[in-house]
Amino acid sequence: MSTSPAVVMPSSEPIALDTAVIKSWKAPIAFGIFTVIAFLMFVLNARPGETTFRLSTERDAVQLPEVVVNSATTGWVVFLALVLITAASALAVISRRKVSIWLTVLFALLFMIGFLAWAAAGSSLPVTGLLFGSVSLAVPLIFGALGGVISERGGVVNIAIEGQLLAGAFTSAVVATSTGSLVLGVLAALVAGVLVGMVLAVFAIKYLVDQVIVGVVLNVLVTGLTSFLFSQVLAPNAAMLNTPPRFPRLEIPLLSDIPIIGPVLFKQTVIVYVMYIAVAAVAYALYKTKWGLRLRAVGEHPKAADTVGIKVNATRFWNVALAGAIAGIGGSFFTLGSVGAFNKEMTAGAGFIALAAVIFGQWDPIKATLAALLFGFATNLQNVLGIIGSPVPSEFMLMLPYVVTIFAVAGLVGVSRAPAADGKPYIK
Amino acid sequence: MNSPTRGIRRAIAPAALLASAALLLAGCASAPEAGGESTASDYCARMVTNSGGLEDRSFNQSSWEGLQQASTQYDIDVAALVSTSETDLRPNVEQAVGTGCQFVLTVGWELADATTAAAEANPDVHFAIVDEQVEAPNIKPIVFDTAQAAFLAGYLAAGVTETGIVATFGGGNQPPVTLFMDGFVDGVAKYNEVHGTSVRALGWDKAKQDGNFTGDFEDVAKGKTLTQGFIDQGADVILPVAGQVGEGAAAAASETTGVSIIWVDNDGYETLPAAFRPVVLTSVLKNTQDAVAAIVGDDLNGTFENTPFVGTLENGGVEIAPFHERASLVSPELSAEIEGIRQGIIDGSIVVTSPSTPR
Repeated sequence: MSTSPAVVMPSSEPIALDTAVIKSWKAPIAFGIFTVIAFLMFVLNARPGETTFRLSTERDAVQLPEVVVNSATTGWVVFLALVLITAASALAVISRRKVSIWLTVLFALLFMIGFLAWAAAGSSLPVTGLLFGSVSLAVPLIFGALGGVISERGGVVNIAIEGQLLAGAFTSAVVATSTGSLVLGVLAALVAGVLVGMVLAVFAIKYLVDQVIVGVVLNVLVTGLTSFLFSQVLAPNAAMLNTPPRFPRLEIPLLSDIPIIGPVLFKQTVIVYVMYIAVAAVAYALYKTKWGLRLRAVGEHPKAADTVGIKVNATRFWNVALAGAIAGIGGSFFTLGSVGAFNKEMTAGAGFIALAAVIFGQWDPIKATLAALLFGFATNLQNVLGIIGSPVPSEFMLMLPYVVTIFAVAGLVGVSRAPAADGKPYIK
Repeated sequence: MNSPTRGIRRAIAPAALLASAALLLAGCASAPEAGGESTASDYCARMVTNSGGLEDRSFNQSSWEGLQQASTQYDIDVAALVSTSETDLRPNVEQAVGTGCQFVLTVGWELADATTAAAEANPDVHFAIVDEQVEAPNIKPIVFDTAQAAFLAGYLAAGVTETGIVATFGGGNQPPVTLFMDGFVDGVAKYNEVHGTSVRALGWDKAKQDGNFTGDFEDVAKGKTLTQGFIDQGADVILPVAGQVGEGAAAAASETTGVSIIWVDNDGYETLPAAFRPVVLTSVLKNTQDAVAAIVGDDLNGTFENTPFVGTLENGGVEIAPFHERASLVSPELSAEIEGIRQGIIDGSIVVTSPSTPR
């Protein structure tokens, strides 16, 4: 992160890449600021008492002992460690070396431990519960973000993720209730997502309407349509149309016995397992398969793709539909995977957070997933700290997910570059 | 460079189609539900919802039911104008006044400014506003001291908890929400005082007037994770005061054995999906229907006045619902104690206080 990529000029001559390292003080300065914050909070405003980290629940196979630490002592230790890391990063910059990403990760982890030990002083913190909730909150965001990545890598801006999630949530609830089948419910969500995606694709690709505007209109349309149908059709016939079954939690043998990670990742519902597969599949296919190469080609340089015989608009169309399918499945998590019944506007802006995750994640499926997980973690951290009675006012805590995401993006991500032809219709 | 302009003309027709479809739907959504054309007099009443809409399973719905009740009772014409966003509020109130009706009911604190402005401009029209206190000669505020009923719910929760931990959370830190939470934690404290127990109420600190909030009234998934967090801390009775977000709480409770929830505004046992009914311990009821119907009746009789209607245990404006399937958890002694406290609140020997109490 301390180097800026050397600019490659479009030229046929082979270029000797210049490896000049530009001194970037961004990392040490950011570390320094957080170290000062750590000093002010953990050391000067140290809170008395001990913090208990509960690493397992009674239901887990492997029982880990509770870790009890003294809040004030932990604060000092963490602060000193942060000072060391800051110094190390400053040294690295002076000697023109790159500040390792692992140093940043270590810094963030230590800061988080210090913060938790400080905020939870005198009470006990359920670590698995905190992480489990983070994953649950991130699931629809991750599905939405995957849909966004596929669509935008192909050159179509997908503002309609919110609409696709909402359409998926609505249809999955209705179909699962009327048929009694969870699988059909998810398939219906998929189809609903595809339909919303296809409307976007038709307007964006065939009729060349501004993609952002179509996306926004689609969101409003789906919100209006589902709210209207909810109040006119679902609410009066709730028993027949809006009481879907829910996916049970499914424990994966062996994997779910791993301490901490097991209960967090492998005691989830089928939709979450589908998500793991989807993330892995999209990440692999985008960079390693013919499909991925073609998708990226039409998103980066459609004219070049066209000259080698790739049907640009058809590729875009079907991939926007695919993106809708993935986001639609994400929508079914709100109903079948979480609370069951559909409610008006129940996605509550998740599609827009997913869109943000796409951009923060630099249009990369794995990074976008991590961004969504970070948002889920921050949201649940706010929940858990509120429950154990944190010293921070609730209005500030509600900002936490957004503040953390912004800081993480500014500190970790750096420049985010969109696919070159993103949002530009291709006209032969 | 290829220019997208040549596509614009082709784009207009489908875009217009999409837009008109949206318009059509918007039109359908706010279709006024006129209550009979053969009215006895030319008296009519209009209602303006906040952004929750008519089927919010909360005060919009119950206010509308009250107005419909008045419609059949007095044979008058009623209709509702549904607001979908903050920007709809003022135009909708103006439109309601513009119909020439004598009575306009607005619902929610968001409508306070619009209602006050319209009341000032139209001194001959009578207004009533649900859940907000405003002072004007022609506005009747309809408010509820829900802390009284929530106090009973808190006492009940402390009586049935096995773990000694109960919890509450809200949708946002607003007086109509925190009023419930104040009453709830005080009810728990009362139980502790009477029985010498130390039941803890998580999620709300009455002294600091701060606690757990989901930040909105829509995101059920957030309500579910938050409730899961409470359950992780050992809570087994949870009071969500967050509209439909409470359904998330019910979902989390139904996944863990021995966890109950307390619903608010209406009887959750009747309004929630069937799967969640077994976890509903009781509900803190707000009887908006009867209050609205009675006020319309008063206005018809020419006895409209602007003193606030405050729903209490005494006048039946607030209440707690029957225990339904969870009745087995409530011992006869506990029921008797709760009845005693209800009488105490009614005769004034127990005073439920809150900074948010309507006066």
